[in-house]
Amino acid sequence: MSAHELEGAGEAGIRAIPVWDPLVRLIHWSLVATIVLNGFVTEDESKLHEYVGYAALGLVVLRLVWGIVGPRHARFSAFPPNPFAALRHIRDTITARNVLHLSHNPLGALMVYNIWATVLVLCATGIMMGTIRFFGLEWVEEAHEAAFTWLMISVVLHLVGVVADSWLSGVPLVRAMIDGRKRVPVDREVE
Amino acid sequence: MNETTGKRRAYVLAVLIVANMMCAVFFAADVIADFEALGSQESFHLMIEAIAAVVLVFGTGFLLMELRRLLQRNASMEIGIRAARGEMQSVIDRFFSDWGLSDAERDVALLLLKGLDNEAIASIRGTATGTVRAQCARIYAKAGVDGRSQLMSVFMEELLSEPLGSAAAGQRAA
Repeated sequence: MSAHELEGAGEAGIRAIPVWDPLVRLIHWSLVATIVLNGFVTEDESKLHEYVGYAALGLVVLRLVWGIVGPRHARFSAFPPNPFAALRHIRDTITARNVLHLSHNPLGALMVYNIWATVLVLCATGIMMGTIRFFGLEWVEEAHEAAFTWLMISVVLHLVGVVADSWLSGVPLVRAMIDGRKRVPVDREVE
Repeated sequence: MNETTGKRRAYVLAVLIVANMMCAVFFAADVIADFEALGSQESFHLMIEAIAAVVLVFGTGFLLMELRRLLQRNASMEIGIRAARGEMQSVIDRFFSDWGLSDAERDVALLLLKGLDNEAIASIRGTATGTVRAQCARIYAKAGVDGRSQLMSVFMEELLSEPLGSAAAGQRAA
């Protein structure tokens, strides 16, 4: 742990630890915007729907690259996909001795990978629909719609997870995704 | 480059990276769509678009590395500044102890160093201005200085640890 993470930032008993860099935040909220636009605003077969879809693809690809070359908390190594760790996290949370995770917690990490994968499936099937080879094929269209339904379920679960984790851990996660800093009580153990 | 401009640059870079990536994806998609529609006719147009897409991808990659370097520099600068702040605090404490300042005098001396005038110090500490004036006089006497600016210079001296003249010598060498 480096010195700047130990330093408090004003509020008594709270240290504000910089976790999410500007790019992570920008990609997160831009992806939210593309999902809202294509899910509820743009016409399904319009050019705009396609462009927004490409934008979403670009955002996820960018985030995946950043997961390899980015700073510590943005890297995949900070939140490896591990179902056992996720189960352990659930158990620890129930027994009220959960360890705080500076990057995504193990359960949140699974959701993150799930959402990225789902968006990629949406982009892939969406692009396929526009190509000559796959044009008009029913299963592609069905896959696109199934992926969207799954994305909506995932988003709801993601929001429930954020609210629950903020409440249980006392760390306001939404605020952290806005200004980049996780506010952690001084006496809490972090990982 | 100070802390705030470093942060602002990081934001600008992040926005540029996302915009660049959007352009790259747009051109790449356009190349593929055009190739499907046109085949090898208009291959010159396609080639230009393809080159643009590749350039944008490389540009995005370069900006990503820039941002990473910038974030690292910002983080280490933050550590450096905090360390310097902590060090300065301990230097100040040592002088105050050497001079044998009382607790009240330490508070007043610290506020003096922060550039507050007697009225402000009095209102912060909830005392009369006369009291502060008396405390200041005792602080100056114990420190062996004859006023506020000399008190400051004691600490400036510590910060400018290079002996006089070496800065000029350094300039000549460079």
